[in-house]
Amino acid sequence: MTETIDLMKPGSDQRAEKKILIIDDDEHLLQGLTPRLKTNGYSVVCAGDAVTAISMARKEVPDLIILDLGLPAGDGFLVLERMRALADLAATPVIVLSARDPAHNKKRALEAGAAAYFQKPPDNHEFLTAIRRALGETVALSTFLKT
Amino acid sequence: MIPEVPGRLDAVTRLPPAASTRSPSRFSLADENDAVDLSATMLADLLDFDAWGEVLKTYGRTMRVAVALTDSGGLLLGKCHNPQPVWTLIRGAASEGGAGCPFCITKRLPCTAVADAVRTSAVVVVHDQAGLTHVAVPLTLGKQTLGAIIAGQVFDRYPQPLSLRRVARDFGISAPELWEVAKQERPVASTLLQASGDLLCALGHAFLQQRHGAILEKKLAETNDRFRWLAEGIRDYALFTLDTTGRVTSWNVGAERMLAYTQAEIVGQNFSCILSPDDVQRQATENQLAKALQMGRGEYEGWSLRRTREQFWANVNITALSSAAGTTQGFAIIMQDMTERKKIATVLEEAQRERSRLQEKFLSHVSHELRTPLTAIYFFTTNVLDGVFGDLNLEQRKHLTFALDNIGQLKNMVSDLLDITRVETHKLTLAHQPTRLGKITDEVLSTCRTHAAAKNISLRSEVAPDLHFVWADPARVRQILTNLIDNGIKFTPDSGTITVKGDLFGEDPDFVRVSVSDSGCGISAENREIIFDRLAQVKGGGELSRNGLGLRLFISRELVSRHGGRIWLDSHLGHGSTFYFTLPVFSLAKYCSHIFNAPNLDAGSVTLITVDLVEVEGSVQADILREIRKILERCIHAGQDALLPSTSDEDSEMTFFIVACTDAKGFALIASRILRDLQNFDKASQLHPVISSTMLPVPRGQSREEQIRELIARIESLVQEHLLGKEKSK
Repeated sequence: MTETIDLMKPGSDQRAEKKILIIDDDEHLLQGLTPRLKTNGYSVVCAGDAVTAISMARKEVPDLIILDLGLPAGDGFLVLERMRALADLAATPVIVLSARDPAHNKKRALEAGAAAYFQKPPDNHEFLTAIRRALGETVALSTFLKT
Repeated sequence: MIPEVPGRLDAVTRLPPAASTRSPSRFSLADENDAVDLSATMLADLLDFDAWGEVLKTYGRTMRVAVALTDSGGLLLGKCHNPQPVWTLIRGAASEGGAGCPFCITKRLPCTAVADAVRTSAVVVVHDQAGLTHVAVPLTLGKQTLGAIIAGQVFDRYPQPLSLRRVARDFGISAPELWEVAKQERPVASTLLQASGDLLCALGHAFLQQRHGAILEKKLAETNDRFRWLAEGIRDYALFTLDTTGRVTSWNVGAERMLAYTQAEIVGQNFSCILSPDDVQRQATENQLAKALQMGRGEYEGWSLRRTREQFWANVNITALSSAAGTTQGFAIIMQDMTERKKIATVLEEAQRERSRLQEKFLSHVSHELRTPLTAIYFFTTNVLDGVFGDLNLEQRKHLTFALDNIGQLKNMVSDLLDITRVETHKLTLAHQPTRLGKITDEVLSTCRTHAAAKNISLRSEVAPDLHFVWADPARVRQILTNLIDNGIKFTPDSGTITVKGDLFGEDPDFVRVSVSDSGCGISAENREIIFDRLAQVKGGGELSRNGLGLRLFISRELVSRHGGRIWLDSHLGHGSTFYFTLPVFSLAKYCSHIFNAPNLDAGSVTLITVDLVEVEGSVQADILREIRKILERCIHAGQDALLPSTSDEDSEMTFFIVACTDAKGFALIASRILRDLQNFDKASQLHPVISSTMLPVPRGQSREEQIRELIARIESLVQEHLLGKEKSK
């Protein structure tokens, strides 16, 4: 199977490295997703529950947040609402990545201010495209390298 | 005078059947009773000699003749009334009766009077050996002769001493004694006898018919009684009748029990007192009565009211009672108390719902729980495969590609599990929009291409580019196509071909037919039967039998049928398979039917309003487009304007069309509302809406259908032109 891979080396981007906060309680997801984001030129920080998520977000000021919905110590929707209420986080784009059924949750997440909704497992290519779009980066197919 | 011929009976007068026109002796009842039901008991009833006794006795006494009833074989029924002295003397002395006829004084040939009367349906007059005369009168009902009456035993001329002496000798009685009796007898003229025979015939018919009527009436009364007992005896059903104004005319015990009104209380009252006070229920009753008036019968289930004001759920059957002429005389109503059954049904339904809810909850939980580890595996596999941790050798790459392929299968199965639950709990919702099949086919084929390439299978689309839009949920159409194409790839050997075609369905132009053909192994008749069933596993497929949970074709069938289409399959073993499905064509006329009504069209003009949004950098997100649609919906008048659905075609999504049954003034109002509301919508501040309009006069002097057809055609071409122009300017 040939997979489009996004190997934008950190040095190839003129701008400063953008920071992504992943909020998910699944240690393996964090371990699996982090290297791919790093390979694509982003720095990554992680939080495993709703409470840590908010304080981490305020401390790290990420450029984008990847948010799971089922979290210990609070629901992903709660995190989303609280961030929208905080001046320093209100504008940070959030992409929801959840195992939950989009039929019941996607509309609610988008209305609560999420930029996109992905059900686990996402397609790598579509997922990275959405991240770039949410970060306001030009999405040009030519920048994707094929292996 | 007719000379006596010894040794035989002389028929003095025979009325030939043809003479019946002259004579009243044939009282045929054929006209009234052509087909009379004559069972053995009926016959016995009709010829019951006790019943005939009085009439025969009176006749005999009045006419001074003997009279008796016989069956059609001439056998005496009961006794002979008013027997005459000469006959009594001779027959009393005789050790045996006369041969055949009970009235004949003869030792010779039997009298055939009754047989003749029965055969000819005419009155037969006969002389016997002693010179006594009798008449046989047929008793006919309809076309059947049931029996006869014999009357006579009188002389029709002065007694002949010579023949009497012969009789005395034959019967062993004293000749002088016989002569003494005989000479006292006053002869009755044969013309008088003839007339009295005719009279008897008329009398017999009249009595027979009256008796027949009486018997039928009695039977009817018995049947009526049986029905009344039946109606009254049925206690679990309320049976009652109404007149045409709704007044109760009869009321059985079951009705008394069920509705708690006694017959005395309710007969004459309007039956509305037993209806639930709820207007909807009353309307249902009215509707069914009206239906019964028209069609003869009506039925409904609904709440009814007992006298105690307690409501109960009843099944109500209404039958119109019509006269022979066809006019409705009233209604018969059968009512059954279904409250208990309804309670049980409600409990069952509730249990069913609970079961579905639990099942859905369970499957959604399972699906969620499976997705989490699946995601981790997916990331780990793709990271290594994509060389995030360094290059791989060919073997490593091959194995990881297989792993990824299997992850894909698992992912699909997890999705199918959830879909199946949605299908079964009827929670599968469709977001209809005008959908371009060609575009979706291209998308699906491009996603399937990698998979197909592994087996060197080529995928082809032959969907006509100008094919009508279908009214469907694009995501679901994508799913159906993906399922069918995946299925095709699975069952097609290396280097095969899969072709998707789409055209207008020949059998029903309101549908588009899509076909997915493969050059695979084909499907046996046995498997064709079950392939769309839930959990269908194709038999005899060898390695091909590993086809997931066997839910995908079932889901596809459900999805197609939810769209109002159907799915089927054409296949021959060894010659590949073709799956077909149909989807409804999007009809602008149907979509706008609610605004193209008489008052709107009579206003004279229709306006097509176009709202173009300038595209901002990147692509506008779906939720913003949804938000804009909501704003536009708010700006238009629901009964007068229609916001056309956006198509799944992304290029056209920045343009919105409104069909408004309004003039220039109305357009200005709508446009200003749209501008104001879009400006207030912060997310769309960069959208720079451009609003334009085209006024379409409603064509005059045509039928409504033609007007609408012409308007729709103009709107369609304007929309096309606008979208094409936009495409060119890009």
